[in-house]
Amino acid sequence: MTDAQAQTDGMVIASDAGKPLAERHFLEVRFGGSGGQGVILMGVILAVAATRDHRYVVQTQSYGPEARGGYSRSDVIIARNPVDYPQLTGIDLLVALSAEAAQKYTGFVRSHGVFIFDSGVLATPPRITADTYGVPFAKLALEATGRAQTANILTLGAVVGLTGIISPDSLEKAVLSMVPKGTEEMNQAAMRRGLELDGEEWRVR
Amino acid sequence: MPATIDEYLHTEHFPHIWCPGCGLGTVTGSFLRAALELGLKKEETVVVGGIGCSSRAVGYLDFSTVHSIHGRALAFATGIKMAHPQFTVIVLTGDGDGAAIGGNHLIHACRRNIDITCILFNNRIYGMTGGQLSPQMGEGGMATTAPYGHEEPAFDLCRLTEAAGATYVARGTAYGPRELQRLIKGGITHKGFSFIEAVTQCPTEFGKRNAPKGAIAMLEDMKARAINAKKAAALPPEELVDRIITGVLHEETGRPEFAQNYTDMLTRVRNTE
Amino acid sequence: MELWHSHILRETIDQDSLLVQGNRACALGALDSGVRFFAGYPITPSSEIMETMARELPLVGGVFLQMEDEIASICACIGASLTGEVAMTATSGPGFSLMQEAIGYAAVAEAPLVVVDVMRMGPSTGRPTTPSQGDVMQARWGTHGDHPAIVLAASNVADMYRLTMAAVRFAQRFRTPVTLLADEVVGHMRESFAPELVGRYRLTSGDFDFTEGYLRPDMVREVHPPHTLGRKGHPHVTGLIHDDTGFPTNDPKKSEQFLLQLHDKVVHHRDELCLYDVKNEGKGRVCIVAYGSCARSARAALKLAKEEGLPVEVLHLYTLFPLPVEIIQAVARRCEFILIPELNLGQYAREVRKMAENWTTVISMGKIDGTLITPREILDRLEELIGKYESI
Repeated sequence: MTDAQAQTDGMVIASDAGKPLAERHFLEVRFGGSGGQGVILMGVILAVAATRDHRYVVQTQSYGPEARGGYSRSDVIIARNPVDYPQLTGIDLLVALSAEAAQKYTGFVRSHGVFIFDSGVLATPPRITADTYGVPFAKLALEATGRAQTANILTLGAVVGLTGIISPDSLEKAVLSMVPKGTEEMNQAAMRRGLELDGEEWRVR
Repeated sequence: MPATIDEYLHTEHFPHIWCPGCGLGTVTGSFLRAALELGLKKEETVVVGGIGCSSRAVGYLDFSTVHSIHGRALAFATGIKMAHPQFTVIVLTGDGDGAAIGGNHLIHACRRNIDITCILFNNRIYGMTGGQLSPQMGEGGMATTAPYGHEEPAFDLCRLTEAAGATYVARGTAYGPRELQRLIKGGITHKGFSFIEAVTQCPTEFGKRNAPKGAIAMLEDMKARAINAKKAAALPPEELVDRIITGVLHEETGRPEFAQNYTDMLTRVRNTE
Repeated sequence: MELWHSHILRETIDQDSLLVQGNRACALGALDSGVRFFAGYPITPSSEIMETMARELPLVGGVFLQMEDEIASICACIGASLTGEVAMTATSGPGFSLMQEAIGYAAVAEAPLVVVDVMRMGPSTGRPTTPSQGDVMQARWGTHGDHPAIVLAASNVADMYRLTMAAVRFAQRFRTPVTLLADEVVGHMRESFAPELVGRYRLTSGDFDFTEGYLRPDMVREVHPPHTLGRKGHPHVTGLIHDDTGFPTNDPKKSEQFLLQLHDKVVHHRDELCLYDVKNEGKGRVCIVAYGSCARSARAALKLAKEEGLPVEVLHLYTLFPLPVEIIQAVARRCEFILIPELNLGQYAREVRKMAENWTTVISMGKIDGTLITPREILDRLEELIGKYESI
């Protein structure tokens, strides 16, 4: 995907145009951040949750050789029909957990898309036409569960709460089945805190 | 049960490819007499060779036999043994096949202590390809690829395999076929990885370029240099230079054998599931 | 019979979800088709196959070995195969290179064996985490000498499951090594997939039914009877050219006969071995011939082309070798152009050109920057080709 392609190349379905994300038949989601933030896991959990909603799903990823640090991204296509091309041709929903990810990927976000970023790491986000939300995920996670590490699950809750692209029930089941044993309650609390976020409170204008 | 070693042989494929005076037939004979004493069953005994003069032995043996690829006999044998632990698995290999190209598989088979008996025919030369140097040639040896004398030392394969984890290590010579037979028999009955170095002569390619020349002289040299491990233990190291120490050099029974260990793991895992 | 995948899905992932990783689906397909011996060596991007086998094989009483290198891995598999075990190994480019000599051995010894190569960008260490289709000709001709080759190519997670099953079946049926090619994207992607629904993905081919589980013993015929170690007759197995007794021969006539039979047993069963799928059949002036992840790009491009009213069809090949001669020639007779997008510099395009150039123009669209060919890139090429056609 190059800059030039981002706006033109697409599997965008005409009937999806302008509709809220939750009503679309074909949706391309990217989580971007750095290694160790659980970016890949977030994509996988969203993908598992979407299959619970009986969607066709493809999840791919890209990461550097480092286990910690370095770049990391996780892409999910959620569709109501079988998916042909497995990688993203544009972004309908971008979740950026690092300043680098925001810089690198906002150019690919389609108009009428959604851009969610971690305002704890990025004070002034790139201005794009998409609906933009800035949330200090780590801070909220620390308040909700006492553990900043639950920020990724809180973020997933926020993604679903703010966009409605999958059902909260499917997300909860996917989270509970994927997080390490013994951390279910804590992650559930983080997810619920994310789901409850008030879009108007966090919207960036 | 075979009455003579001929019954373990495909004599219809004779004459064999080995040269007059070659020691490979002598060592193969020691193996077959050991097999006869143990009454090895043809079906359940799998003999695997690699590539080279010595590995050609498998083509004359009437067991289940595999003439595999260069250096990989132990890897093939590992698959066979793990798929069917009840088989008696023997590997016949040479110093080029087993210690050069196949050296990595040799040390890992030792490390696993898998119940395979590996007989390494050491004639210190590549005979089949026409007299190139082997890692066992040692300094000063002459070969088509060491025309000015070889510059590298050889492995002590018995110390190597012991250090790598083999639980039965022995050395014999083509001059002492009965001792070799006893050592091989000990290796086959030992449960675990058994390594038997069989020092043997290649009058055609080694003898052509190195002293002593001719099969008889080479065997006599072998006789003169051979010393039993027990006697050797009483001598100071300087008197053991250039000697061939024979006999069982290392034997331990405490270490678990790999195929058995794996089978036990399967039982454990399936019981807890 | 309970297929093993259902057990794994229950045990290890969200039981109501059917999100499976490609490499994992490959391992599930292997277990469901009776593979009970796996020896391998870790390498990106194929390691999840061996990790899954390491965990699951002991539960069905099978053998898993992590060997000291890829050569030892494939040789251990051949050893096990010679005793009658259903054996498989998996690797990527560098390991696949190391395995080549042994693949030739398995062909000559007629040892059934499945080798999965999850391709990454090469040559040499290349770029381990980027996709490529650079090993196509190595899969055909990597080992020395004239030999048969059955090479399949997976394009999605469902393929990883069902083509692994097909590979096992073909290997047993034809007593020869079968290579399944995938690439980094197909191996690492997770996709919604229901193993019990594989029947719905039926491909155009003889009487091949992917819904069948284990091998039927009556399928293992028609080629040389197996020389199984440890059974009656105590056979001799060799990589030397040999006659029907299994012992070496230097006889020119027998040598030729032996090699021809190896070749013919595969090539003469093209109808059974060549798996493919045609979209928009008979409606294209241009046919996109594609395999692996490029076939997905081609299918997506077909949808875009239809919207623009471009006359395009797609031939999706699941079997690359033996060459699907009749299938390619049928397309060549009816289309003005054949366009072949692939993640190499035209390895398969050269094969197609040999078969098709009497009838049509074959255009290679190779890409070697480590990214997939996008549907838009194919569409641009199609527009250009059809424009050229219109102007003639």
